[in-house]
Amino acid sequence: MRKADRQLFVFALSVCVVVSALLSTAATVLKERQEREVELDRKRNVLQAFGVDVRDEAGRRISAERVEEYFAENIREVILEGQTGELIEGLTSAELDPRDLRDRERYLPLYLWHEDDEVSRYAFPISGQGLWSTIHGFLALEDDLATIRGVTFYDHGETPGLGAEIEQDWFQSQFEGKVLYKDGEPADFQVVKGGVERRYPEGNPSAVDGISGATITADGVADFINRDFRRYNRYFETIRGEG
Amino acid sequence: MGARTKIVTDPLSDNNPITIQVLGICSALAITIQVENAFVMACALTFVLTSSNVIISLLRKLIPGRIRMIVEISIIAALVVLVDQTLRAFFFELSRQLSIFVALIITNCIVMGRAEAFATQHPPGPSLLDGLGNSIGYSVIIILVATGREILGSGTWYGIRVLPEAYMGNGLAVLAPGAFLILGIIIWIQRTATSNFKDD
Repeated sequence: MRKADRQLFVFALSVCVVVSALLSTAATVLKERQEREVELDRKRNVLQAFGVDVRDEAGRRISAERVEEYFAENIREVILEGQTGELIEGLTSAELDPRDLRDRERYLPLYLWHEDDEVSRYAFPISGQGLWSTIHGFLALEDDLATIRGVTFYDHGETPGLGAEIEQDWFQSQFEGKVLYKDGEPADFQVVKGGVERRYPEGNPSAVDGISGATITADGVADFINRDFRRYNRYFETIRGEG
Repeated sequence: MGARTKIVTDPLSDNNPITIQVLGICSALAITIQVENAFVMACALTFVLTSSNVIISLLRKLIPGRIRMIVEISIIAALVVLVDQTLRAFFFELSRQLSIFVALIITNCIVMGRAEAFATQHPPGPSLLDGLGNSIGYSVIIILVATGREILGSGTWYGIRVLPEAYMGNGLAVLAPGAFLILGIIIWIQRTATSNFKDD
């Protein structure tokens, strides 16, 4: 090997080693904090779906302590069996590997909102394919187990300005009061291209306006809301049976 | 004016990276919907550009010519990943809003451009100044564009309401075409004002 080549090789190798050492150190040191932020964001989104104001007047997000307070006082998390939709007594998400918990075929986490010792709202994670990415969110139902209390979409990689509009208030607030369950069966929920009013002049309690330029994102949202609601509905039927 | 001062002040107007050299347009269009995003992007770019300039300048005599660009981009990419990881840990919401644009600093032509055009040929001191000057030149322009877009688009500035609540917000200013228009106007003003600019 010529001397110049050897120098080149040694230099390239040292750059690689130094850079990788630096980046892996940074990633390891910051990992815990990043995960805490992601977890906090997830919890804020659960609260938001439940209809809690997660921002103060100045638009700042409520503090981590406040979020934990809500979770300690008002929210209980239970896990349902993925295949049957039955409640698994005594199991909490803390006991499960986060990766297993994400597998909806196996486990279905459900958040119960308690007020005066009564469960008054239910929330569950929703997720599915948009155009570019998997969209994650939460959907909360009123105690009739049919009317939507609120919905959030938070983790996604949709096109900014188009599909990413699902993050915006105008899109999410439309879901409030819409119906997922009617006449004894799950309703066919739709995100309507061109607007609900144009397609259904008489109105449709199970439809919201789509986003122009983001039809595939919108169709994806409607599909996974329908699919995920049906998963949880098996458990909801048993509650309805008791009530 | 001293040569050192000129290194910093030149990129502010007469040799501005955005309005004269038309570099870094991608991020200037993408993250200028709100002033806050533009500000964070400006800080991130300042850090990356200044440090990459200094590091590359320190290594300028060691870097083999044949793999010069690969080494430069590795250094820049490492700095950008560092910024991205830090934002995720300490400024979670902002990192979500900036999403992929932080990572795209790697491909911001200004960073690579200054490394190639300046840092590889000058000592660390002037390279630091050059990095600072170009960062400030970039920052001033994107914050100006963001100011125009946020006020016209949302009636606010840095989240503070400046136009009455009744103002509907101009959708065009929020979308990319609005950024093109405002940036175009700024470039026009700049080039008219810059006496030595020759359009060839």
